[in-house]
Amino acid sequence: MLKMHNVRKSFRTDTIETHALRDFSLEVKEGEFVSVTGPSGSGKTTFLNIAGLLETPTGGQYLLDGEDVSNLNDRQRSRLRNEKIGFIFQGFNLIPDLSLFDNIDVPLRYRGFSAKERRKRIEKVLEQVGLSARAKHLPAQLSGGQQQRIAIARALAGEPRFLLADEPTGNLDSLMARQVMELLEFINEWGTTIVMVTHDPELARRAHRNIQIVDGQVCDLRPVTEQPEAATA
Amino acid sequence: MIGYYISLALRSLRRTPTLSALMVAAIAVGVGASMTVLTLNYMMSQNALEHKDDVLFAVQLDSWDVNEAANTTNEIPWQLTYRDAQALLRSDIPTHQVAMHRYGFTVELEESAIRPYTADIRVTTRDFFNLFDIPFIYGGTWEKTADSSPMQVVILSKATNEKLFSGEDSVGETVILNSQPFTVIGVIDTWEPSPKVYDVNNGSFTKVESLFVPFGLHRKLEIYSWGNTNGWDSGEGEGYEGFLQSESVWIQYWVELTNKEQKTEYENFLTAYIQGQKDQGRFERPLKFALSKPSEWLVLNEVLSDDNRVLGWVSLAFLLVCVINAVALLLAKFLRKAPEAGVRRALGASRNAIFTQHLIESSTIGILGGIAGILLAFMGISGIRYLAMGQQDTVARMDWVMVIAAIGLALIASLLAGLYPAWRISRTNPSIYLKTQ
Repeated sequence: MLKMHNVRKSFRTDTIETHALRDFSLEVKEGEFVSVTGPSGSGKTTFLNIAGLLETPTGGQYLLDGEDVSNLNDRQRSRLRNEKIGFIFQGFNLIPDLSLFDNIDVPLRYRGFSAKERRKRIEKVLEQVGLSARAKHLPAQLSGGQQQRIAIARALAGEPRFLLADEPTGNLDSLMARQVMELLEFINEWGTTIVMVTHDPELARRAHRNIQIVDGQVCDLRPVTEQPEAATA
Repeated sequence: MIGYYISLALRSLRRTPTLSALMVAAIAVGVGASMTVLTLNYMMSQNALEHKDDVLFAVQLDSWDVNEAANTTNEIPWQLTYRDAQALLRSDIPTHQVAMHRYGFTVELEESAIRPYTADIRVTTRDFFNLFDIPFIYGGTWEKTADSSPMQVVILSKATNEKLFSGEDSVGETVILNSQPFTVIGVIDTWEPSPKVYDVNNGSFTKVESLFVPFGLHRKLEIYSWGNTNGWDSGEGEGYEGFLQSESVWIQYWVELTNKEQKTEYENFLTAYIQGQKDQGRFERPLKFALSKPSEWLVLNEVLSDDNRVLGWVSLAFLLVCVINAVALLLAKFLRKAPEAGVRRALGASRNAIFTQHLIESSTIGILGGIAGILLAFMGISGIRYLAMGQQDTVARMDWVMVIAAIGLALIASLLAGLYPAWRISRTNPSIYLKTQ
């Protein structure tokens, strides 16, 4: 599903060059649920941005679903992102002046679906996250957990094969976090591949596999069951 | 997607009403001010005789003082002397030819409640109506003999006929002009050339005269000119006859020459005429005359002055300042929306999609600004009409061309204003905002 080989990413200013990822190699198979942990500034988010085609690597090779995406132009990358990738963010990133219905509608608009098809998909995902009755509400009228469920619904509406979650429970209390995690696990059981960045060791352990990133490199690829608890902290 | 972008634009405008109003106002003030000036310039630049531009010619003869050239742009007097006009009228080369000038009469009706009033008159030869394609509602023009012998007939403008005879067919009725009875022989339809090409010496944008009387009345009624009269030699004659024979120039002269051969023949005629006058001791300056098309005539007479042109550029510069202000406001607004653009990029919007969305938003502002600008331009033009007290009525008005131009100008201004901010937001790195939002 996702294969990175010797991917590098550096950011350069006038005086300094920072290496966010160095010879980063990783493979995520179809249907996997992978958690990504590591200290702040280790390159987790850069990895997620490159995986989600929001940033281009400085070097190396990235294959998404068997297709080399390193040299695609913006339009092609946007299309792939729209069709194959769903995003879930720590801050939910719902558009505040759009209703929940219209928020979920955004990726479907760029996909070019008909109004009928969009409505069908939106109603379906709203039902899946249990918020059908709130379709016309604005994000500010919802709790944090409900907003994150809407963000998940928005990510799922286009039926992506690959879901990228950047600390999806970071802004939620433990109860809400558990509900969101259960929803992600449910989605994974349907067959959607999930890569989740998290600081929460308990959540990380619930994934099939945990990857630790330190100084822009993968340092531990063992299955979760074999990892010491301290390693994910 | 265009419909979606328009709905997003309207939603965005509603979300920030004050900022949106400021941007609309910036565009509106710029468009309003520039369109007011450009409309005046545009109307001043019109050529009401464009359809006959290749066949009509204003005639100038250099009969001026040998010691000093005439103070005109081509150093030939704008108008002719009475005696030269009479001499040219004897030519049968032009298809039509007109000698004329501005005058005024006191107008009244016998046994009428209408009080006597002073009206602008045009004293002209009969070809005036054919040469300038003036349509008649009732009757027609006078016979050719009236151009050289006194016939007290008059042609009314449509407005005058409305005023004196309630718009009824007044042919055969009598109008009293300066206490003399004149028989109405025709009524012309509305005809308002602007600028008044046929007589730009006496106000390029004044109204067309209300009544028209034959050229043959001069001696009988001792008609002088109510327009500009210039001279360098009053001659030796006495009284009115002395004025007619003097070197004073006060007659406007136009000819219609329908082809090149006819024009060449007429030029030869003028050359021969001037040569003949030289032999008699007149026309002491080097032989010079001019036949100017209506379009050339307007330029020669500087109907659209350099001041007007400069004002036009200044108004466009003002619009540019307004556009720059709008750029700053749009940039602030769009960059504030950068997190939303980041989310849209993550959800599949390409840079082009983000660029188009924001360009449509700025265009929406431009259309609203354009509509408000047109209203401001109408107000500005009305203000000019009010201040000019009717003198600029034919110019201070906005036709459909200028309304469309105003909308076009507003769109161009808003696109110019929106290009950079839209480009900036489409080029921002979405990942920055996705993490920090």
